[in-house]
Amino acid sequence: MTNSVIAEILVLRKRASTWILLATWTALALFFSYVLPYVEQRSMTELLPEGLAGTLVRGFPFFGGVFALMLGVLAVGSDYSWDTMKTLLTQRPGRRQVLAAKLMALASVLVLFVASVAVVAAVSSYVVARVESAPVDWPSAWLMVRTLAAGWFVLVVWAALGVMLAVLSRGTSLAIGIGILYALVIEGLLSALVTQVDALEGLSEVFLRTNSYSIASALGASTETIADSGPGAFAGPYVSSGQAAVVLAAYAICFVLAAAVALRRRDVA
Amino acid sequence: MALQSELTTRPVTEPERHAEDLVIETRDLSKRYGDLVAVDRLTLRVRRGEVYGFLGPNGAGKTTTLRMLLGLVRPSSGRASVLGEAPGNSNGLARTGAMIESAALYPFLSGRDNLRVLARHAGAPEERIEPALAEVDLSDRAEDRFSSYSQGMKQRLGVAAALLKDPELLILDEPTNGLDPAGMAEMRAFIRSLGRGQRTVLLSSHLMTEVEQVCDRVGVIRSGKLVGEGTVDELRGSAGLRVRAEPLASAERVVAALDIVESVTTSDGALRIETDPAFAPWINRALVHAGIDVTELSPERASLEEVFLELTGDGKDQS
Repeated sequence: MTNSVIAEILVLRKRASTWILLATWTALALFFSYVLPYVEQRSMTELLPEGLAGTLVRGFPFFGGVFALMLGVLAVGSDYSWDTMKTLLTQRPGRRQVLAAKLMALASVLVLFVASVAVVAAVSSYVVARVESAPVDWPSAWLMVRTLAAGWFVLVVWAALGVMLAVLSRGTSLAIGIGILYALVIEGLLSALVTQVDALEGLSEVFLRTNSYSIASALGASTETIADSGPGAFAGPYVSSGQAAVVLAAYAICFVLAAAVALRRRDVA
Repeated sequence: MALQSELTTRPVTEPERHAEDLVIETRDLSKRYGDLVAVDRLTLRVRRGEVYGFLGPNGAGKTTTLRMLLGLVRPSSGRASVLGEAPGNSNGLARTGAMIESAALYPFLSGRDNLRVLARHAGAPEERIEPALAEVDLSDRAEDRFSSYSQGMKQRLGVAAALLKDPELLILDEPTNGLDPAGMAEMRAFIRSLGRGQRTVLLSSHLMTEVEQVCDRVGVIRSGKLVGEGTVDELRGSAGLRVRAEPLASAERVVAALDIVESVTTSDGALRIETDPAFAPWINRALVHAGIDVTELSPERASLEEVFLELTGDGKDQS
């Protein structure tokens, strides 16, 4: 198994799209979390080191999630597009092992995604503090560890969704299309209607967006800022962080199981 | 591999085997896609150490069969055994190298990195990579991206990937596809060399010259059914003689009366005589002695192409 994971990490590491997604997300995170709010003179507390955890973690539920979804789709769906799935499956490991190796490699690369955004956010908040001659009060190490872990967890769930869609659609285009449609239109639209239609309140509790933002909120992300964050906006209602963690974990397990069953049962033509 | 159900792909049991050492054995192996029968109760036996040619027109079911043998496609019914294991079983795959249709590798990785990835998955030592690259003459281009390779180089790298495990069984599906004549000749010689010793090669092709040059035995498939199997010589049948003579009717009577002749027929203004070609001087002498002018007397044997067309109908695509 270790050898298969190393092989899959090599594939992701050498692939241009991995680095393009990483660079794009990091740049967008910098722009939307620091540059734009600073120019517009929004809440300065969020831009300083003391607000690092909250500002950082609110970027994962939607923007980060969509990038993780695309990474998940590309990591597995391309093997269908290039026909490399048949090559991999005629090597030694079984189908479950190939899928597990891909998921583990993906989870490893997502650590890099989280670290990259965290470093950029930390540097940005430090620069803002210096420019504004504000105190540099970093969040506690424990809060940062929980923030980074939560961010990684949210990205893993979205990446697992991407993997499942890639296996089900046996490609990349349809999977990315459906994934973004779900994230933007289905969850986005219905989340916006929750406050107007009572019947949707219960439904929204099972959304990735609701549960991801609930975790972000528990770690200090401003609910006002979340409600005002463009296509990824979410105005509640929030659920408890414990419930959110359980729902997200259940999603991740379901996505992986669905992908495993489909990969196991279907012919590789 | 979990893909295969016990019902469809349990290995053929030991008592069911023939005394010969079979590397691949299928019994009534079938694959249906709705109403379309891609492979129809195929029974195939490939012996250890031979180069077995799997010959058939496009769409005859060759690739589907190979995919079933590798566990990529689940059979609808029947049994199959590859190296004594169910198709797709890890133990069997560890000893099998394969290239199905064309070399499918990561376009953004170099040739060497592609082999690295596959060696890791296969559990093959990395030390096998350089010899495999050298064997297909790609050492100089090993650092170039796979996407920059010519079709011939891609096929060669695909063969190198199949050789990484130093496999007992090599399954190659149309390995000369897209190669120029020189590349085809080179690849055929290479495949022939791979089949020396104890390694078994299953070569799928629709090119008769390829199969004729490379294979020890040939199985001919049409519409998913095996319609002929044997060595090239066996498939071509016994040799005979062709005679042009005047008058032809008299010549036929004289020849038919000879004990050494099994049968004689007339076609295209010539006699086709079923007999050992070594009897040509006797037949010539008998005809001349009877006052018949012999204008042509030559050994004749059906070409593999004729046999193939006869076995496969007209050689057109079947599905």
